[in-house]
Amino acid sequence: MRVKYVLSEVLVGLWRNVTMTIAMIITMAVSLTMLGASGLMYRQVDDMKDLYYKNIEVSIFLSQEVSEQQRTDLDGKLKNDPLVKEVIYVNKDEAYKKFQEMYQDAPDLVNAVKPDQLPESFRLKLKNPEQYKNIYDQYKDTEGVDEIVDQSRLLDKIFDVLTAIQNIALAAAIVMAIAALLLVANTIQVAAYSKRREVAVMKLVGASNWFIQAPFVLEAVVAGLIGSLLGLVALVAAKYLLFDGSLKALQGLLSPISWGDILFIFPLMAGVGGLVSAATAWITLRFYLRV
Amino acid sequence: MTKTYPKASRPSLDNVSVSIEKGEFVFFIGPSGSGKSTIIKMLLHEVTPNKGRVVVNSKDVTSMRSWKRPHFRRSIGCVFQDFRLLPNRTAYENVAFALEVIGKTKAVARRVVPEVLELVGLGGKEHRYPHELSGGEQQRVAVARAFVNRPLILLADEPTGNLDPDTSIEIMRLLDRINRTGTTVVMVTHDSNIVNQMRRRVIEIESGRIVRDQARGVYG
Repeated sequence: MRVKYVLSEVLVGLWRNVTMTIAMIITMAVSLTMLGASGLMYRQVDDMKDLYYKNIEVSIFLSQEVSEQQRTDLDGKLKNDPLVKEVIYVNKDEAYKKFQEMYQDAPDLVNAVKPDQLPESFRLKLKNPEQYKNIYDQYKDTEGVDEIVDQSRLLDKIFDVLTAIQNIALAAAIVMAIAALLLVANTIQVAAYSKRREVAVMKLVGASNWFIQAPFVLEAVVAGLIGSLLGLVALVAAKYLLFDGSLKALQGLLSPISWGDILFIFPLMAGVGGLVSAATAWITLRFYLRV
Repeated sequence: MTKTYPKASRPSLDNVSVSIEKGEFVFFIGPSGSGKSTIIKMLLHEVTPNKGRVVVNSKDVTSMRSWKRPHFRRSIGCVFQDFRLLPNRTAYENVAFALEVIGKTKAVARRVVPEVLELVGLGGKEHRYPHELSGGEQQRVAVARAFVNRPLILLADEPTGNLDPDTSIEIMRLLDRINRTGTTVVMVTHDSNIVNQMRRRVIEIESGRIVRDQARGVYG
């Protein structure tokens, strides 16, 4: 009986103030979508870092007039360097082959360049790609070294952009969450006011506090959960329309977002949506119900 | 006990000591602002005294934690001057509501509510809404609601304040009948007529002090 009573009170409460309920659910949904997107982005950036940094190389190009001795010294030093995982020596001919492959669409360019013009290089794989700076400092003044190029510097720029997008999504989630919280607080105030007579009688005859508060708190929780469901729908739509649709061209660059990732993020959204609304409702009731 | 409200220049109740026995019928009388309502509020654990103790049903209410208050209130029935009925519920539903929100089943309500409505003289009017009932009938519903849970104490805060003299007498007969079932009745009133007719214990309060405590008293 009591459960049925509480549930019917929740539905009546949501319906009584239906415009406010809709506003509450929409802001909640937008906020949770942003939160979910930000969470997905976080995993995405992590995945991509793993993927790219594994294959990343530091290239040490040697100057044209490097001597045999210098090259052997450098080779020895690199092989014994604790930061370096793997050293591959690329001589002029190999560099030329790679160059040919890379520019096979531009035969004029390939013809214009002779193997002699391309620098020899050491291609290093680092144990920790983020220690590039140490390698750079250590070898930049070594004799025979012309230039040190690190691919991860380029990637860092991409990741900076992704992180910025992620932060913007998170900031938007927080701002929308504040709006959602204010709406929850307001909805609960209105609900408490419209049920003030019932509440007064309940307090008078000794209804327990949870029984008085439960319909209000559950009202907010239900709105929060509906909001998170809409957020899930929005994320699914975003994957379907954006990632599998118009951004498909970027698929080589971006690691794919799986349905599993989205399902994995949903409990987080539902949990945040439900708990935060419950807490807000409960705190609001402390002020407006004084039970 | 003493109670001083914040921002008040003098205490609402000043060193008051009263003992009410089980089954008694007591009037609290006195001018507005004398502290009568504060006594009711203390018995309900709505306010606590700054000094002294309030003991209800041999339980010390003064030190009672607020989460225990709901259960404590189930042993006290309350009637007010303004009835405090729910306008969108019938007489039956108003009384049943009081039972249902403390966890009684609908089956219990179906058994007990008609009984108590009969007791207060509303047999046959169970399904009227408050606006379809006269003031006296509405107060009867309120009394039924207060009594349906068989409380040990019935608190009545000017229950006849909105009623004409004849209706007031009827309500008093009802309260008297409830008192005879062993329920302690504590009533705050301005109505000298009623106090004089009932000839019960009268406690007069003025400026927060007891100035008279008389068995079988009159309004004075």
